Amino acid sequence: MSKTTDMASRPEREASSERGKALANVIFNAALAALFVGLFVQAGDLPSSMWEPLGAGSFPRLILGALVIFNLAIVVQSALALRQTDPATRVGAGRWFVQRRLAFATLAAFCVYALLMPWIGFALASLLFLLAVQVILGARRGRRLLIACLVATVFGLGLYALFSHVFLISLPSGHLW
Amino acid sequence: MPMTDALLSSVEQLFSLATLASMMIGVMAGVVAAAIPGFTITMAIVLTLPVTFTMPPLQGVATMLAVYVGGGSGGLISAALLGIPGTPSAVATTFDAYPMARKGEPGRALALGIWASFFGALVSAVVLIVAAPPLAMIAVKLGPWEYFSLILFAVTVVASLVGKSILKGLMMSLLGLFIATVGQDPMMGVPRFTFGADVLAAGIPFLVVLIGIFAVSQLASEVENPTALQRGESLVSGNMHFRPFTVMREVLSRPGNLLRSSLLGVVIGAVPGAGGSIANLIAYDQAKRASKTPERFGTGIADGVVASESGNSATAGGGLIPMIALGIPGSAVDAVLMAALMVQGISVGPRLIMDSADLVYGMFLAMFLAAGMVLAFCLISMRWFLRITEIPKSIIVPVVLVCCAVGALALNNRITDLYLLVGVGLVGYLLAKLDYPLAPLVLGVILGPIAETNLRRALMADEDWTLFFTRPISAALLLLAVLSVAFTVRRLLQQRAIARA
Repeated sequence: MSKTTDMASRPEREASSERGKALANVIFNAALAALFVGLFVQAGDLPSSMWEPLGAGSFPRLILGALVIFNLAIVVQSALALRQTDPATRVGAGRWFVQRRLAFATLAAFCVYALLMPWIGFALASLLFLLAVQVILGARRGRRLLIACLVATVFGLGLYALFSHVFLISLPSGHLW
Repeated sequence: MPMTDALLSSVEQLFSLATLASMMIGVMAGVVAAAIPGFTITMAIVLTLPVTFTMPPLQGVATMLAVYVGGGSGGLISAALLGIPGTPSAVATTFDAYPMARKGEPGRALALGIWASFFGALVSAVVLIVAAPPLAMIAVKLGPWEYFSLILFAVTVVASLVGKSILKGLMMSLLGLFIATVGQDPMMGVPRFTFGADVLAAGIPFLVVLIGIFAVSQLASEVENPTALQRGESLVSGNMHFRPFTVMREVLSRPGNLLRSSLLGVVIGAVPGAGGSIANLIAYDQAKRASKTPERFGTGIADGVVASESGNSATAGGGLIPMIALGIPGSAVDAVLMAALMVQGISVGPRLIMDSADLVYGMFLAMFLAAGMVLAFCLISMRWFLRITEIPKSIIVPVVLVCCAVGALALNNRITDLYLLVGVGLVGYLLAKLDYPLAPLVLGVILGPIAETNLRRALMADEDWTLFFTRPISAALLLLAVLSVAFTVRRLLQQRAIARA
């Protein structure tokens, strides 16, 4: 289904998304390359071993070195792709985020959920998270909201009970109480 | 342990009431999960893992295999009834099963797929039993040089199979290998790249990466499109007529197609990184080429359904071959199975089949048993399948995300693992949006410690690094690694030339 809506708005979006992706790739890989160079230098301080020719730092340095080469290669490739796109088109970063607002909202809710869990416990955090995400995804009123409340209660409390009583895996109960 | 003893012991463990019951639940969960669009087989397996921690090893693995085999059939349901593949493994199934269902034969389309899945799983279990033990015998003789080269080969194959850019694929593999080095060094225990942070002190467990990449970021992609969230009415109406045994004969009357597709599935499953999502398309394509009436493919004919479904189901057994024989998981699902064994304290590698023969035979038997259970469950419950696919994403996504959190927490009972999960999920989502393939990253994280340990062991045994190129098997594997990259580069250049012309 997402395919069909994608296609509908394709002609005007194609150019800008190509350009946005190329630009994002250049920035992303340049940043990674800088990070990996830093880590490469830092890995030099890792101790070597009396028992083996390779110490703790050699394998990471091998990988980091190769990574930097690949990052730079992608930077070059993306920069060439960027030059071929029409500089007049906009990158459309704002619209890109707006189009994916539901995904980012869901991920943000998941992040809050993880941060709240040690404080208010798994059961309550899950209940709130389940309700919040269902509301975000469209269960706003009437029967759907009722189902959302039901699902939140059943899974929030049910999973907690299932894991702590049946599978004997303890989930956080919360610092606050 | 002699073979018969091991076999009897595995039968005894497998046919206990607890194991049979948990396998049956696993089969149902697998079928239902894969039937829901947006819920992949890998997610189902990952979420089963914490449940198996308290089970004995064989029961745990058998339950996960049940979910796996069940999932192989479940994707067919939404493919046939809605024209939406429930999992990527069922893409080719939509080509013929859906038109068949639209023409008023939804029952026949489902039954064909279920039988084809069953026979595909049977064929793959047979190949697994025949191929894995001898391969393990050879693998035991491999030294650290060969192992390191084998992993390089596996990593390059994965990087070249998935995605459109080999540079990005290889970059992701390397990133995975690097992520695996965070935390304690595998041989000396020195902390690496932790920066004194609690979150990183224990490293980044590969299961957290697995859940983050294959579940969290995947789920985020599922909810992108606001309009798609309001699911449409079911498109297939009409009565469902099931004639399971007539259809069984119909499937068996195509032995060539069935066997070819199944064997293709096994081979593709055994290649690291490839899996059901590739096997169904290749099996369908090959069946079309071999057919006398290729023009009828896509209009709703039985051959298309049989090829796709037997092909994707057969990857289950194929993927287990490298895991059992070499200790190298061929796919994300096999990696989770391997993790389940490792959590139980069983070391996975070529010696597995000798040290824990009862477990390995139990896994073989569980494959057959699970295939039978899926068949029985599907044939009985087909009538209700349509309802499963109607569950809206607004419910599925948050519930599965909570299950992901449970999975990450159950692993080591560390809240920091949950924070890592959120981080990996977000990074994974952004990487996927920038067209970076994620499978090589996950495989890199899993294979990283094995690669490093073997590299360092090899150089400890002999400081001469040229041995990697002079030992014949090691040299051959390295050559294959180079060739896999070279062929991919050539293929991509050709595609680009065609696109330009």
